[in-house]
Amino acid sequence: MRIRAVFAAGLLSLLLAETAAAQPSNLSASGLVSEPEGAQIVTDPARIPRQFREAPMLAERVRAGTLPPVEQRVPAEPLVLQPLREIGRYGGTWRGAFNGPGDGENGNRINASDMMMSWDMVGARQVPSVARAWEVSADGRRTTLHLRRGMRWSDGSPFTADDFVFWFEDLYQNRAIVRAPMPELQVDGKPGRVIKLDETTVAFEFDAPNFLVVEQLGAQAGLGGQSYRQSNGLTYGGYAPSAYLRQFLPKYSSEEEVNRRARAAGYENWVQYLHFIKDWQLNPALPTLGPWRTVSPINTPNWVMERNPYYWMVDTEGNQLPYIDRVSLSLAENMEVINLRAISGAFDYQARHLQLANLPVLLENRDRGNYRIDINLATYGADLALHLNTSYTADPEIGKWLSNVDFRRALSLGIDRDQLNETFWLGLGTPGSVVVAESSPENPGAEWRRRWATLDVARANQMLDSIGLSRKDSAGFRLRTDNGQRLVLEVLAVQALQPYPRQLEMIAQQLRRIGIFLDVKETERTLAYTRVQNNQHHIFPWSNSGSEKLFLVPAYVLAVDPINSANGPAYAEWFASNGARGRRPEDPMILRAQELYRSAASLPEEQRNAAAQEIWRIAVDQVWSIGVVGVSPGSFGVQLTSNRLVNVPRRSCIANHCRTPNSAYPQQWFFR
Amino acid sequence: MSVTVLTAEERISHATQLQLTWWRFRKHKVALVSGVIILLFYLVVVLADFLATSDPHATDARRSFIPPQAIHLFDDGKFRPHVYGLKGIRDPRTFRLRYAPDPERKLPIRFLGRGYDYNLLGLIPTNIHLFSVEDAGPVDGIFLLGTDQLGRDLWSRLIVATRISLSIGLAGVGVSLVLGVLLGGISGLYGGTVDTIIQRLIELLRSVPTIPLWMGLAASLPADWSVLQVYFAITLIISLIGWTDLARVVRGRFMALRTEDFILAAELAGASRGRIIFRHMLPSFFSHIIAATSLALPAMIISETSLSFLGLGLRPPAISWGILLQDAQSVQSLALAPWLLCSAVPVIVAILAFNFLGDGLRDAADPYG
Repeated sequence: MRIRAVFAAGLLSLLLAETAAAQPSNLSASGLVSEPEGAQIVTDPARIPRQFREAPMLAERVRAGTLPPVEQRVPAEPLVLQPLREIGRYGGTWRGAFNGPGDGENGNRINASDMMMSWDMVGARQVPSVARAWEVSADGRRTTLHLRRGMRWSDGSPFTADDFVFWFEDLYQNRAIVRAPMPELQVDGKPGRVIKLDETTVAFEFDAPNFLVVEQLGAQAGLGGQSYRQSNGLTYGGYAPSAYLRQFLPKYSSEEEVNRRARAAGYENWVQYLHFIKDWQLNPALPTLGPWRTVSPINTPNWVMERNPYYWMVDTEGNQLPYIDRVSLSLAENMEVINLRAISGAFDYQARHLQLANLPVLLENRDRGNYRIDINLATYGADLALHLNTSYTADPEIGKWLSNVDFRRALSLGIDRDQLNETFWLGLGTPGSVVVAESSPENPGAEWRRRWATLDVARANQMLDSIGLSRKDSAGFRLRTDNGQRLVLEVLAVQALQPYPRQLEMIAQQLRRIGIFLDVKETERTLAYTRVQNNQHHIFPWSNSGSEKLFLVPAYVLAVDPINSANGPAYAEWFASNGARGRRPEDPMILRAQELYRSAASLPEEQRNAAAQEIWRIAVDQVWSIGVVGVSPGSFGVQLTSNRLVNVPRRSCIANHCRTPNSAYPQQWFFR
Repeated sequence: MSVTVLTAEERISHATQLQLTWWRFRKHKVALVSGVIILLFYLVVVLADFLATSDPHATDARRSFIPPQAIHLFDDGKFRPHVYGLKGIRDPRTFRLRYAPDPERKLPIRFLGRGYDYNLLGLIPTNIHLFSVEDAGPVDGIFLLGTDQLGRDLWSRLIVATRISLSIGLAGVGVSLVLGVLLGGISGLYGGTVDTIIQRLIELLRSVPTIPLWMGLAASLPADWSVLQVYFAITLIISLIGWTDLARVVRGRFMALRTEDFILAAELAGASRGRIIFRHMLPSFFSHIIAATSLALPAMIISETSLSFLGLGLRPPAISWGILLQDAQSVQSLALAPWLLCSAVPVIVAILAFNFLGDGLRDAADPYG
């Protein structure tokens, strides 16, 4: 058995510093990009505090007798955090923004320390969170978590291994509540098990090696904790507050009894009621493990959270965290409104929803709004990737070209990435292929950034001529080989994380030079996704955010996820259903990549990284998705921090698996 | 007293109705000016590409957000209009792209110079423009109103947008006119059940709030339609409501005239139905129709602009006033490129001009009144 609870982040910060050096010089000259930094977890027994202190608002409740003293609330084995700069003081309200009831992620991420494990400040190593330590058996079949003795839910009830077993047996395995099992709890189609070893020890067991589940226990994945995975109608997450939720399940009373309660609360049946009851964003009475719990729910104009009196992290002087009393997110459905409010200094910390294009405006108003701006760089390869539908068949002529590797490469060579980078990323992104940042252990080598991803109009034209697309119409556009009409490639552009329709307008202009006509259709998001999932699109522009951990989010790289794999939905369907539905790819490279992905769970970390590198080499060479610009501050990368707020790292990991800003430890931020 | 000199009173009694209308209209100075403005607008519609200075679709990162550029008329005391070449440098502290004129590089402006290719009046292929900077590099050009984020010249885009927005209005009114005169005429002439049905239909259509109705119809357009198809569909949608006003006016006029003495006289004299309608009735309220039409136009234009602004009407790469305004609605453009807001100016000018013109025409339409 291999203990992995100890970590060292210092070494890895070196890796990220390399990426910073590779950036355009104006980025390093701006002074906005710092070295990664962050609060540190203390494991040295000599530095574990024995006495605890608490926030004034809780001390008052203790004096009034409505709350037990802090010694009884903090676990015997708390997580001890060395704050980034200094020990903080209690109080204050953190003001931020959210853009509607669908934007629960805004709060989920603030509370993401309720995952079993978190990621360090560069997103390279897992560090303890809810779990104090963990180990993976040598054969990879069992992953064991060690919980904290004396840890409690936000209502004071004990948090133990029983909460895992309750979740697994009473919620997850109940098909009335959870319709489909999650891929994270299966290996080769066979389900795994959750087993209680003792009060504070729980194991995830599989019939075949599963080295991947340990990463999925602390990431944007099915086992990613309560706040993220038990909201919005989901019932994944890994554990649940058993003492509280039992009363809503028929097993512990009767079907009539729980249905009666549901109807009394205005719901049709107990399942619907349960989906409301276990959603921390909606139900303030739900026990949680995060630093803040909801007091005014997400479906109100102000989503307000207040400190969890039983939170299980303390600083090195024994002060119970978090320092900040309240988080208040104000509703603004329009992104422009959020950006305007940011400029006027209405937020204390905000990174989500701030747009890179507004960076000059944000910077020019720094003094007036009393905030500072820091720039973080993501490590995924493409903020804008053109996912080409390699499994398209509705129009055989179009399908023939989209599945032709030379055609895809030629398209990629026709794009002037520097122009796009200057226009939409202020020159701060990295033009290139879809490949993950060079700092990642999954990156196959620096040369893959530019493979088939440079501007070469002459070569692109020559490639298109030689594959049989040499005939052109009077306007210079290439003609279809079947009926002599103009070859029109349709692009479904959604106004989303990036201004995709605008970006595609520019690309359409550029591709005229290689005689390719792009018909850019601005499409509503849901409609676009429906068409993608039904294999009806030609080209779908989207990011590949999440692919910095290839095996956690493979969908934007490989045709393996029928929901999100826009570069081959029918092949993804075939893969995910083990051949029952969809279509078998004829292209041996797609089959090879799918096979590499399938085998990854059974591989220990180093071999898994090697498999990831191989997949990236294939993906870049085959150009299933055309990378345009990435490794940039494109999303979450523009970070606004009030000058009153202390201990906010100037730079930390921004990635899906880091659950930004979780790796920056908001618990230890405080107001001066 | 000479025979040829008539008194004012005699002149009026001898003048045709058209002359009277014109005299009356001439007195309405604002309407007259508006009329000229509108003529100029439609001149722009006809000569759009000729007046544009650079390709309205051509993008270039190196000229993103250039502020409006001044034209220098004199060079060394001689009349030699030119603009300075620009050099864009990204501010290392704010990442804003700033442009500094390069006094070393004077770009002469040529009248009737060469530029991008187009078809004059949609027929004659040419590349002559009213004025242009010839042999310019990709970044050089005249940017009278500055450029947008993609580096497209706003002046040229506005000119081309004017063509689409104003012609949509005209086409829309054309369809409305046909529908309105036809249905209003039938309704007024026949009366009875036909009249009741048509009038209730009009009331029904007018009772539906227009913006949601347009939104509903526009949203139901198939997403895979081409820009041209959407253009025609939007025209139809807008005129679908526009005809009701006209129909009411025509019906009212028909009803009023039906009982007039001169109609009775014509009937007694044995004139056919067609002759009565087209020779006697139509001319007497033709001017009203023109006035109503010119008042309907601004509503049409505003409709197209609002629909496109809301993202439901025309879509890029089509260029219309609504689309240009949509570009100007972000924080970025407010703070970094306020010149994008000047897309609103032609909308306001055109709408005001149409309203004043319509007002003047309505007053003048009834010269005996």
